[in-house]
Amino acid sequence: MDKDDGDFKTRLKIAKEKFNKDFLAESNKRGSFMGSAFRLGTELVAAVAVGTIIGFILDSWFDTKPWLIIIFFFLGSAAGMMNIIRTAKKMQKEE
Amino acid sequence: MATNPMHQFQVHRVGPEIKFGGIDLSFTNASLFMFISALVICLFLFLGTKEKKIIPNKMQLISELLYNFIAKMISDTAGTKAKPYFSFIFSLFVFVLICNMVGMLPYSFTVTSHIIVTLIMAMFIFVAVTVIGFIKHGFKYLSIFVPSGVPALLLPLITVIEIISYLSRPVSLSVRLFANMMAGHTMLKVFGGFVVSLGILGGWLPLSFSVALTGLEILVAFLQAYVFAILTCIYLNDALNLHH
Repeated sequence: MDKDDGDFKTRLKIAKEKFNKDFLAESNKRGSFMGSAFRLGTELVAAVAVGTIIGFILDSWFDTKPWLIIIFFFLGSAAGMMNIIRTAKKMQKEE
Repeated sequence: MATNPMHQFQVHRVGPEIKFGGIDLSFTNASLFMFISALVICLFLFLGTKEKKIIPNKMQLISELLYNFIAKMISDTAGTKAKPYFSFIFSLFVFVLICNMVGMLPYSFTVTSHIIVTLIMAMFIFVAVTVIGFIKHGFKYLSIFVPSGVPALLLPLITVIEIISYLSRPVSLSVRLFANMMAGHTMLKVFGGFVVSLGILGGWLPLSFSVALTGLEILVAFLQAYVFAILTCIYLNDALNLHH
């Protein structure tokens, strides 16, 4: 029984290492790649939308229609670009 | 036969109407399916962790796999400082995953295909991360809006852009999950409608598409839950480790 137990422990250890190395690494990598691909699109759109909404709200506050909405639309686009560059950089670092 | 592909997203009341000071608090099908998802999670994890064997049965194996998966994800993206938030991220991931998966069953309702559900979750994460950032770093947390190495002339512009980028986080987080789930389910329903309208002769092609789309949708359901959780980890990382 004792011998069996020791044998089992080493086998478990080997199996665990193999599992961690092969399966988890592989599935994690593939998952995060596809995840990042899905990420990029919404990242741009969300920033543009948020920028435009901020511009719209500020416009109705200060009564400066339509200037702030135009300015914040471009600022939002810039923020979206920055988001995308940042995400892409992160993806490259992970590689 | 409901031929309208958007009909599946309708929220309707289940049981009696409950009005509370002008606010409709009735139990709807959305609440019902959230309740079912939570029940499935609790039951599954309870059964999975009931017997703690060295050689696990299938239930225990899946629960342990799930635990390892999340633990590894958190330590990879947010480091050891994020360990105290494990339970939150684990619950978030499992809830989104099971809601998506329950939505894949025929005649069920997909809770995550409603933007209000995903937006509330994303807003909660956003507020929580901001509060955690301010607790950990005080007013130094505001320095994430001022990137280093920027010329003084450009600084006001960059700061405004950074603030917009920060505010866009909950929007992108919620819209991604909502749009993926809604688009997928609408597409499934449209192809299902084609099968019915083309009949026994022409219906085989859309049926095969429908089968393939179901497989894709299950992948998307998992992937979106994963992305939701990993982005929460990334935002948490930004709040915990300033200037990474």
